Amino acid sequence: MLSDFLAEELVQLGVEATDWEDAVIKATRPLVEEGKITEGYVEDIILGVKDLGPYIVVAPHVALPHARPESGAIEPAVGVVTLSEPVSFGSVSNDPVRYLFPLSATDNDGHLGALQSLVEILSDDDFFAQLDSAKTPAEVVELVRITEGRL
Amino acid sequence: MARTYQALVCCRAGIGSSMMLEAKCKQVIEEEGLPIKTRHGGIDQLSGFDGDLVITMTDLVDALVADERVPSAVGISNIVDKDEIKQKLQAWLDEHAE
Repeated sequence: MLSDFLAEELVQLGVEATDWEDAVIKATRPLVEEGKITEGYVEDIILGVKDLGPYIVVAPHVALPHARPESGAIEPAVGVVTLSEPVSFGSVSNDPVRYLFPLSATDNDGHLGALQSLVEILSDDDFFAQLDSAKTPAEVVELVRITEGRL
Repeated sequence: MARTYQALVCCRAGIGSSMMLEAKCKQVIEEEGLPIKTRHGGIDQLSGFDGDLVITMTDLVDALVADERVPSAVGISNIVDKDEIKQKLQAWLDEHAE
């Protein structure tokens, strides 16, 4: 379940970011602080976008910052981050990005179910409407849990 | 019997977005009965890849098409859009059907 990998500490609402790089750094900060990923993992996310383009922007307004497991994924985790003002990642079809779901993806299939849940949640318009009105990280964790149970 | 095509759903890391894209592709393939079998992996798994097509995020398509190990690539821009996935896989099949 996705909610097994989400915690209030990993949720941030209304983050102010100056550009995509700043958004990635701020969105992943709690994952670094909680020991889910290393600084090297964050650097690899940024390197990947610079090398290959904004492929982490997977749906309209949605980015899933993640990197190669060997760059520093310590344990599986997902964060939920909303920006106060959206930023451009240079994605032709999906800019601007307002929602970031930073992933710590370790090198095994143990979190496959969680990722399947995440893709279903991202397909759900009601989820985003409720995320926009959420006031606290606790509400977001509960929203993910309920949405996951409903889908 | 018509053949089944082998697809590698690929992203840079091989874990994360490729798994999510594969999950969505599988739903479409099952619902539409498309003759495609998928597995997921990273760009490093292209070595020795002997399948028919690579499915990836649009932003990675150019890099992959330039790679001589890639027979054919389909780029998806919105991983939650089943209509886009369906149209692009169907178009690929129409073009490559034997």
